[in-house]
Amino acid sequence: MASASFARWRVRSARELRQLRAEPLLGLAIAGIFGLLLIFILYPLVRVLTVSLFPEGGLTLRLYQEFLGSWFIRQALLNSVVMGVLTAIGGTLIGFLFAFTLTRTDIPGKSFLTLAAILPIISPPFVSALSIILLFGNNGLITRQLLGLQEFAIYGMRGLLLAQVFTFFPVAYLALRGVLESLGGTLEDAAMNLGATRWKAFTRVTLPLCLPGIASALLVLFIESIADFGNPLILGGSGFPVLSVQVYLQVTGMYDLPGGAALAVVLLIPSVLAFLLQRYWVSRKRYVTVTGKPTRAIIRAVSPGMQWVLFGLCMAVAAFVLLFYATILVGAFSRAWGADHSLTLRNFGYVFAVGAQAITDTLIIAVTSSPLAGILGMAIAFLVIRRRFPGRQALEFVSILNFAVPGTVIGIGYILAFNQRPLLLTGTAVILIANFLFRYIPVGIQSGMAVLRQIDPSIEEAATNLGATTQRTFRRITLPLLVPAFFSGLVFSFVRAMTAISAAIFLVSADWNLMTVQILSQTEAGRLGAAAAFSVLLILIILVAIGAIRLILGQLFDYRYQAAFG
Amino acid sequence: MTRHWFAVAALALVVLANGSPALAQDSLVVYSSVDEENAKKLLDAFTKATGIKVRFTFLSSGPAVARIEAEKNNPQADVWFGAPSENHVALKEKGLSQAYVSPNAKELAAKFKDPEGYWTSFYMNPLGFASNLNVLKQKNAEPPTSWADLLKPEFKAQVQTPSPQTSGTGYNMVAALVVIMGEEKAFEYLKQLNPSIQTYTQSGTAPSKAAAIGQAAVGIQFTPAFLQLMGEGYPLKVTFPKEGVGFEAPAISILKGAPHVEPAKKLIDWFITIPGQNALTDAKTYFFPVHAKAKLMEGLPAFDQIPTINYDAIWAGKEKKRLVDRWINEVLRAPK
Repeated sequence: MASASFARWRVRSARELRQLRAEPLLGLAIAGIFGLLLIFILYPLVRVLTVSLFPEGGLTLRLYQEFLGSWFIRQALLNSVVMGVLTAIGGTLIGFLFAFTLTRTDIPGKSFLTLAAILPIISPPFVSALSIILLFGNNGLITRQLLGLQEFAIYGMRGLLLAQVFTFFPVAYLALRGVLESLGGTLEDAAMNLGATRWKAFTRVTLPLCLPGIASALLVLFIESIADFGNPLILGGSGFPVLSVQVYLQVTGMYDLPGGAALAVVLLIPSVLAFLLQRYWVSRKRYVTVTGKPTRAIIRAVSPGMQWVLFGLCMAVAAFVLLFYATILVGAFSRAWGADHSLTLRNFGYVFAVGAQAITDTLIIAVTSSPLAGILGMAIAFLVIRRRFPGRQALEFVSILNFAVPGTVIGIGYILAFNQRPLLLTGTAVILIANFLFRYIPVGIQSGMAVLRQIDPSIEEAATNLGATTQRTFRRITLPLLVPAFFSGLVFSFVRAMTAISAAIFLVSADWNLMTVQILSQTEAGRLGAAAAFSVLLILIILVAIGAIRLILGQLFDYRYQAAFG
Repeated sequence: MTRHWFAVAALALVVLANGSPALAQDSLVVYSSVDEENAKKLLDAFTKATGIKVRFTFLSSGPAVARIEAEKNNPQADVWFGAPSENHVALKEKGLSQAYVSPNAKELAAKFKDPEGYWTSFYMNPLGFASNLNVLKQKNAEPPTSWADLLKPEFKAQVQTPSPQTSGTGYNMVAALVVIMGEEKAFEYLKQLNPSIQTYTQSGTAPSKAAAIGQAAVGIQFTPAFLQLMGEGYPLKVTFPKEGVGFEAPAISILKGAPHVEPAKKLIDWFITIPGQNALTDAKTYFFPVHAKAKLMEGLPAFDQIPTINYDAIWAGKEKKRLVDRWINEVLRAPK
């Protein structure tokens, strides 16, 4: 059985390799991407794995046995999975609500809602958790002042879930918006012309066609939520342990690098399972809807009454978002955030005096890494879906690995891997850029693949038949169709390059420092106002950058999507 | 166009990769667990006094050790500056630091230095309670002045303390309680304390923030962040438990394989002289000097007024794994 399928695989691979030979540039690109992923994703992870298997020099599974025998770690693993599932479901629901409302209704205030749906992706480390405590904690604005609740327990599962869904739903929104946009409204119109009710059109047409997007969103949210440690570190506490935090603690609290590495490997298991499950589910169906034929829909997929219900729901979430950021803004301009709210500019004066260098460094690194991540992501999505070559599945799988591992482990892996010649990168900007680039491509890849699955390959085949090379087809046909996915890939990697800290903390140096590390330092020392001011700057920079990305993409691809995002 | 972007990016990468190491030649490289602003002031004072240039990176104590360990084949820094001495004990045991007995160290009490010279403490801070005066008023409570006070019903789910599993501060508290009460009684007390604890925070400095913004009535940690927050205008009051508290004594270690050993030695020499110790006060760090003759910052309680106990960092370092495991298995599982 196995040998027969292996033989089939060999025949297929040989055929695919022959085809590649016809297009040497394509072969080169694939080899290059494989090489990069090997060096910057697999090699550091292998170094970490080695440390966990050879803690005292000889091969042993002792660490794994120890952990699986500990009630505390088993509890943490269970908590991680439960939290990951709930976050994925909750985040995808809210993401879909926004994506659907914004693409299928003509409610007022769309640009405000668009902003509200993207904004929470920018969550400055540590300061976000403070803001949530100020809103929902014991003396929180919402819990105590508005609802009159006493002693609302923010620490533990409830508070953490709230924070996770809030932080991650924009990722689902970005992915689903791309999908719903390329879907257009024509099929729903057609269904209703044939006599289907709105509900039937939604459940039988819209929803099934969104499945690849929904599956991608669920996967990305699940993986990111269980690898994330910013929110759980502060809101989980010791009462609700999760595995990603335990990895961090094992390394940085108990100084046990091998133990932390072993835990990280355990954490990979649910992520890999989720990946395989999603692949199995999506690959069995066809979702082509973009065929190159003219599409123009008359918006009527939603009844007027329903439209206002959706509007109300979105507005409620948006109000929440607004309040969250207003809280940080107040902190930045207050004498003592949370205690004395008289106005001052002192915090900003302080930030510019202490942090000017970190601000420029952060910008250079984010501006370098995110276009690379965007293009690499689209290229990988294109290759995996549209080209046949041996190791196609492996390529996608490897690219998502870094995303699934807690940042702490990646940070350590990068030091282990890149602190010796010939790959001596520690202390440079390259190590930071590579870290952000390879850690955050999966969002671009997943959105790109979701969109590509909807686009009929015959459009590209037509180009190829007319004599265009793979490269030209990709640039002139595929990339413009991919712009919504490209946009989410770019935004996501830029935002993460500006806000992620868990891996970066091991890679910053005296020459290259980051704003997030400044925020950490300021909160640790008790200068909360300065931390809030840093966060406000961070948010402003990101908003300007998102605007610029939108403008540049619009110029480059002369795309109708400008209207959609405008 | 795609290729064009790649070319530009590749060029940028080359420039970024080669741009920096040239600068690194002749200055001391420091990993600082003293926060960014205070580290800058202190190290600037050192540069001004000695002419030795310093470049530093802020790292909290946990990530610092992990990073130093991961970099041991090709050390990127010379000195680890700050973080309580227990962490430096761990560094020594991992073989990641090197011995240097400063001639000036004879002025320091034995608890402020490693007998073989692997680390030298240069300031200290007592552990304390910070109470939020507004929350106390809501609860009709007085600031706690003893460990026993924290068991009172008005403090139910109102106290934040760092987890010993994650935070050196949290472990310092547990180890000091073991010294004060004896191990069995200390764990009995910690179990009884469990209902008063709102959350065991992962970071050693989180309790002060929770107390400052009124999320908790009482935060337990080392005092500098409390005093800093009070300086910013937060309604906090600092008290010390009369049964006794531990203290931290942040230290300096020279890393094994450090590229610049001589300036690293001068760093230790200078920070334990009287001018070096006075820099702590001039920089308004809220840190207590370790040299008996150095000046104390205005507003700090005299150190001998605080009921600090005799705390052996080397013993604490050796017992850490066992005590933390016991804490996880007994205290975390105790009824709330």
